[in-house]
Amino acid sequence: MNYSEFRDFSASVARRRIVFYYFGYFSQNTVSAMAEAIRLQFEQAEPVASTRRKLFSCFVEMAQNITHYSAGALTPPEQRDGQVRQGSVCIGAEGEHYYLLCANPVARTDVDALRRKLEPLRSMTIDEIKRAYRETLRAEPEEGSKGAGLGFLTVARDASGPLEFEFTPHDGDTVMFYLKATI
Amino acid sequence: MNSQSSDLHVAATGTSPEVDFRFSEHRLALKGESYPENAAAFYGELVARVRAYLTGLAGAGEVTFDVALTYFNSSSTKMLFALFDALNEAAGAGTRVVLNWHHDVDDDTIEEFGAELHEEFPALDFRDIAVDA
Repeated sequence: MNYSEFRDFSASVARRRIVFYYFGYFSQNTVSAMAEAIRLQFEQAEPVASTRRKLFSCFVEMAQNITHYSAGALTPPEQRDGQVRQGSVCIGAEGEHYYLLCANPVARTDVDALRRKLEPLRSMTIDEIKRAYRETLRAEPEEGSKGAGLGFLTVARDASGPLEFEFTPHDGDTVMFYLKATI
Repeated sequence: MNSQSSDLHVAATGTSPEVDFRFSEHRLALKGESYPENAAAFYGELVARVRAYLTGLAGAGEVTFDVALTYFNSSSTKMLFALFDALNEAAGAGTRVVLNWHHDVDDDTIEEFGAELHEEFPALDFRDIAVDA
């Protein structure tokens, strides 16, 4: 890419109103650095504190999901600290709203479980989401969860509309998982 | 004697809060942001220390806990719930526990979580402290 192409690329990013994009490895350190970058950016660009908080919260949940669960892992599956996994995240603006989009490969065998978690959230009202959140907060952690089982519910709570998700063919035993939240 | 159990101080990092548990003074405080990679490990240690301290109080005394977290992720939320559960049990057994819940005046999420704690853990003397940042 020469300077002129880079200028065109930058102009196209601005035209698409993309605020942040990262593809690569997610670790606790890279997530922390990205969180700081995003906070600085929105302190300048977004006057509404609750919108800034929701963007930050969704970003952290999505990025830590990638660190914990992406099938593109550099660290062994049983390792619980210092995990490094591959994925991407994008934050942009559309109309009056911001959106966050993230993607990472997942095992084909995990697709049904993810669908079962996400599909019901799409038809729930905000009150139903908050109720489900409260119930999960009190429940025993789910088998295989590295967190609280509250991640998707937290993103759904912060979003202004239903979460969107998709699975597309990737390679071999994995499919690419996309998740989109509109704030 | 548990009242002499050593205090626990952990400095804040970019993703974990400052822990200032002065068991010797019966004052506990958490301050900062909380999204460690492994919240279960980070808070598991705190819950264990607090439980040991509360057991030593044996239903007597008074504890003040100041929580001033400006952000906590979902897995920290779950662990905080476990921490307050331990305090609530001690309060039910007779120890007076004051929970000062500090939050930004317009942070609805943290205020609502505080209300949730207030409802779930009625033995705690819960005080909502809205701070105008």
